[in-house]
Amino acid sequence: MVKMMNLIQNEHMKLYKRLGTWVMIGLILFAVLGLGAFTAFIMESNENTNWKETLQIENAQLQKQLEESPLKGAGETYVQQQVAINEYRIDEDIPPVESQSVLGFMIDATNFTGIIALFTIVVASSMVASEFSWGTIKLLLIRPVNRTKIILSKYIATILFALFSLVLLFLFSFLVGSVLFGLGGVDQPYLVYNNGSVEETNMITHIIQLFGFNSVDLLMMVTLAFMISTVFRSSSLAIGIAIFLMFTGPQITQLLSSYEWVKYVLFANTNLQQYTNGTPLVEGMTMTFSITVLLVYFVIFTTLTWVVFKKRDVAA
Amino acid sequence: MSKKPVVELNHVTKRIGKSTIIDDLNLQVFPGEVFGFLGPNGAGKTTTIRMMVGLMDITEGEILIHNHSIEENFEKAIAHVGGIIENPEMYKFLSGYDNLIHYARMVPKKISKDRIREVVKLVGLEERIKHKVGNYSLGMRQRLGLAQALLHSPSLLILDEPTNGLDPAGIREIRNYIRRIAHEENMAVFVSSHLLSEMQLMCDRIGIIQNGRLISVESVRDFVGSSSKHKMRYHVSPLDQAVELLRSTYDSVVESVGDGFIDTTVSYEEIADVTELFVEHRIRVYGISSIQSTLEEKFLEMTGGEK
Ligand SMILES: Nc1ncnc2c1ncn2[C@@H]1O[C@H](COP(=O)(O)OP(=O)(O)O)[C@@H](O)[C@H]1O
Ligand SMILES: [Mg+2]
Repeated sequence: MVKMMNLIQNEHMKLYKRLGTWVMIGLILFAVLGLGAFTAFIMESNENTNWKETLQIENAQLQKQLEESPLKGAGETYVQQQVAINEYRIDEDIPPVESQSVLGFMIDATNFTGIIALFTIVVASSMVASEFSWGTIKLLLIRPVNRTKIILSKYIATILFALFSLVLLFLFSFLVGSVLFGLGGVDQPYLVYNNGSVEETNMITHIIQLFGFNSVDLLMMVTLAFMISTVFRSSSLAIGIAIFLMFTGPQITQLLSSYEWVKYVLFANTNLQQYTNGTPLVEGMTMTFSITVLLVYFVIFTTLTWVVFKKRDVAA
Repeated sequence: MSKKPVVELNHVTKRIGKSTIIDDLNLQVFPGEVFGFLGPNGAGKTTTIRMMVGLMDITEGEILIHNHSIEENFEKAIAHVGGIIENPEMYKFLSGYDNLIHYARMVPKKISKDRIREVVKLVGLEERIKHKVGNYSLGMRQRLGLAQALLHSPSLLILDEPTNGLDPAGIREIRNYIRRIAHEENMAVFVSSHLLSEMQLMCDRIGIIQNGRLISVESVRDFVGSSSKHKMRYHVSPLDQAVELLRSTYDSVVESVGDGFIDTTVSYEEIADVTELFVEHRIRVYGISSIQSTLEEKFLEMTGGEK
């Protein structure tokens, strides 16, 4: 039996011995540096000693909003939680996180998971399709290894690329943030509203959670791209469709959110933060519901990929 | 041959849509022999090879490699096979060596660095093995292809038009490797080509395929060697008497009778015997000529006016 490890090693060799891969990794680092420079030197500091006053004004506005145009259900709770957290800050003297601090910078940098999603889609799209366009698929498949293992090793290598990039982003944003803004405020807590009271939790845990939430979207789009790449053997088609859907999908589901059936659309479920930090797209959607829908899509994507790859006549 | 075949194709048929691309193919290849698979372009050589290595499904019939079905027991069957299918496309952005490492990682038994070095030496790529394949010439890529196929010491080597695009020197080189490997390492080699001239020099047996059907399987030694049959044409007179005489003397010498001549299939010694017979019976002999070999004739017949 050929070890899975060997196959993954092969995929890594093919991925990381290509210049394009390192260009993508370089761009991620470059983006973090760019954001750092922007935050440190161009962006206006929102540091103010009057943050308590600002929060009080904000709370007054929120309260007024609640009275004038009462939101229903989840929307109302969300505003109430926001008010409670702001009050807690004022009472306990915990200022909001600034962009010009290492943690604030790391939080801002989590947005770059979008770039990582983009790059991982590119990697996923070429995983299978390139073997066909290079003609190397013939020599790859005449080894004593079943096709299931080969496709699995390719998928794992793709996911590992995403993980590697995410870890890199996390560490590099910490490095750049601490160099530019110092380590001040690293012990700042993240405030959550839980069972009627505000609690202090670890900020780093919160940042990792943000990475986690953003990775859901990434995982689904990468798996979709991987599937298209395998089924149609075209990397450009896979990149095109996946990126197009990644950008327009959420907007379109937002536009159609008045229809009940929208909740079964993939993009209505990829943003799990709608349950922790906002309002669900369609009334009645829950975290469990979304995770179930995501799992169903995931199983469909991966099964289709597997079946097509296993059964296909290779005539390229 | 009483040896067990390395590979056997039993009633292999491939249909794509409505068209039958391979039709009821039966053949066996034995250890130590080079089997040539000869046919014009589009005859179905590549399709057959793709089925032999499991790249394509077999519509009907079966292919057994060391008695393991390539479909039912793919991993066991393919472990004995090394191959090049059409052009040996390699990862251009990797070095030749990395390409070999890649394939070495894909077999169950460990392939040592020494083995890789040995194979690289065998195909004569020592100097350039650390260079990127993107910079290789076609000949070098063919040789790397061969190295990749030999890496795990297979007992069946399958090569699809291995000399395509090579210059005469390259062709001779490949031919020599193939003969040496088959005879020294007792490997079975299945090699396809659309060129008879090339096959004759390289193979022990040749199967001719046309329109997906195997028309004949001939042994090259029988055909070329001294013990083989020759096709001779005798221009004689009177013709009827000569035919009568031959038919009564030999069982199956007369092939056909033409305008003033008789075509015969005879052994080397019989060429003289037949002449003597004619002279003894006062039949006048105007000319004796050798006509095309059976193999070449069949091949030209099927390739038609293509050449
Ligand atoms: N995927 C396919 N679909 C339909 N017909 C095919 C396919 N692949 C090959 N063929 C046909 O099968 C025949 C044999 O092709 P091939 O095996 O490549 O021939 P050869 O290798 O002997 O030149 C050709 O007529 C070709 O057009
Ligand atoms: Mg061919």
